[in-house]
Amino acid sequence: MKNIIEIKNLVKKYDNFTLGGLSLDIPSGCIIGLIGENGAGKTTLIKCLLNIIKKDQGEIKIFGKSNYLNDDIGVVLDNMFFPEILKPYEIGKIMQGIYQNWDTELFNNYLKEFELPTNKPIKELSKGMRKKLEIATALSHHPKLLILDEPTSGLDPVVRSEVLDLFLEFIQDEDKSIILSTHITSDLEHIADKIIFIDEGKIVLNEMRDDIIDDYGILKCSKEEFKNIKKEDIVRYKQNKYNYEVLVKNKKEIKKKYKKMVIDNITLEELMVLMIKGEA
Amino acid sequence: MLGFIKKDLFIIKNNLKFIGLIFIVYLLMAFTNKMDVTFLLPFLSVVLMISTFSYDDFNNWNAYAVTMPKGRANIVKAKYLSTLILLVISTIIVTIISILVSLVNKKPINYSELLLMMSVTMYTTALVLVIMYPIIFKFGVEKGRIAIFILIFGIAILGGLFIDYINLSSVVKLLDKYWQIIIPVTGIGLIYISYIISKRIVMKKEY
Repeated sequence: MKNIIEIKNLVKKYDNFTLGGLSLDIPSGCIIGLIGENGAGKTTLIKCLLNIIKKDQGEIKIFGKSNYLNDDIGVVLDNMFFPEILKPYEIGKIMQGIYQNWDTELFNNYLKEFELPTNKPIKELSKGMRKKLEIATALSHHPKLLILDEPTSGLDPVVRSEVLDLFLEFIQDEDKSIILSTHITSDLEHIADKIIFIDEGKIVLNEMRDDIIDDYGILKCSKEEFKNIKKEDIVRYKQNKYNYEVLVKNKKEIKKKYKKMVIDNITLEELMVLMIKGEA
Repeated sequence: MLGFIKKDLFIIKNNLKFIGLIFIVYLLMAFTNKMDVTFLLPFLSVVLMISTFSYDDFNNWNAYAVTMPKGRANIVKAKYLSTLILLVISTIIVTIISILVSLVNKKPINYSELLLMMSVTMYTTALVLVIMYPIIFKFGVEKGRIAIFILIFGIAILGGLFIDYINLSSVVKLLDKYWQIIIPVTGIGLIYISYIISKRIVMKKEY
């Protein structure tokens, strides 16, 4: 697999936050899910990728080039970014004058598919409709890479699944990739090939989704049972009112080791919470 | 880049109904000779252009625009070009209205005076822009307002301090004689300098 994004030692410093020394290779043909709590650095990373903010150190290459911003990248940012006085059909006309590969027919099809009014100011559209308009715009210039910051936030479950299906359809072509950040980790359980977990500006996990689901488990036990678990088997643990939740890796081996204890499969959400809130 | 210009013109078009009333009042004043209103329309075009900055700021358009092919350079280029387009259109409208007013009132049309009026109007409007745009690109419309106020206040104070040392009448004489050269040359020069400064600001700015 070719790498579509290569990041070496990326550093971005703020007064009270540092995105520190990130190195990352993102292969083409897959969906990368970026997770982490608010303020963890997901948006900072995406903004660095898109040259919205300037990196302090490091190197970013997309499609093998350092100067990469072109038609091949489709973008959705976390906040609304179209001037709200504009109307969807005007957005189409504007983008026609910006992207060489702009496909008016495709854009109009998306507007129809998403049931978006073409002649209504954006300020009168619901949050979900605006998001759909942004996604339609990002897809309508035939990009090879989609960089999406919270593309599903504000969407109801029905629309969300529509949008996720669109992403899956997009990725059918091996040359294409998506990198998306989200709070809604359950979305990623359906579509992401790889999960990158960022906490306090650092990558704490960078693994294939299937490996995470296969490897990690959550062991729930009493205080006495907890005392019997070897320290090296604990990735993180959290003490609840009545029990302990222990994050374990190599689930199958752990199962053999502690036969009496129950080890459940883990969701990305549980993993995230334990990684952040749990003790090591 | 064409897309960025279209964006500004669409914003202005959608805003037009708000200035429709002003335009009617303007027409009334023009035809009843209540006031010399030649300056009003070009100035209105500045107001409309500033409103495009407001929408850009308010909805964070620039953060998105910089991710587009040659986004940063085009943001600036397009802003200056849409302004020029608007300025030319509004000057043509004012010229036509002035001629119509003269015709309706059966006054002789003094074309050289009209040309001078239009040039001065465009020049002063352009001056306002070249000062404002880099400041707005740097600070945004909201904070930019304060900066522009401070700047104009500063110029006024400096002007007040140095006015005694300048021989105003010779300046006026010079302008009177060579305005056909001075206005276009300094006008284009100042716009270009302003454009270069704005571009530098935007190339470095974080959104």
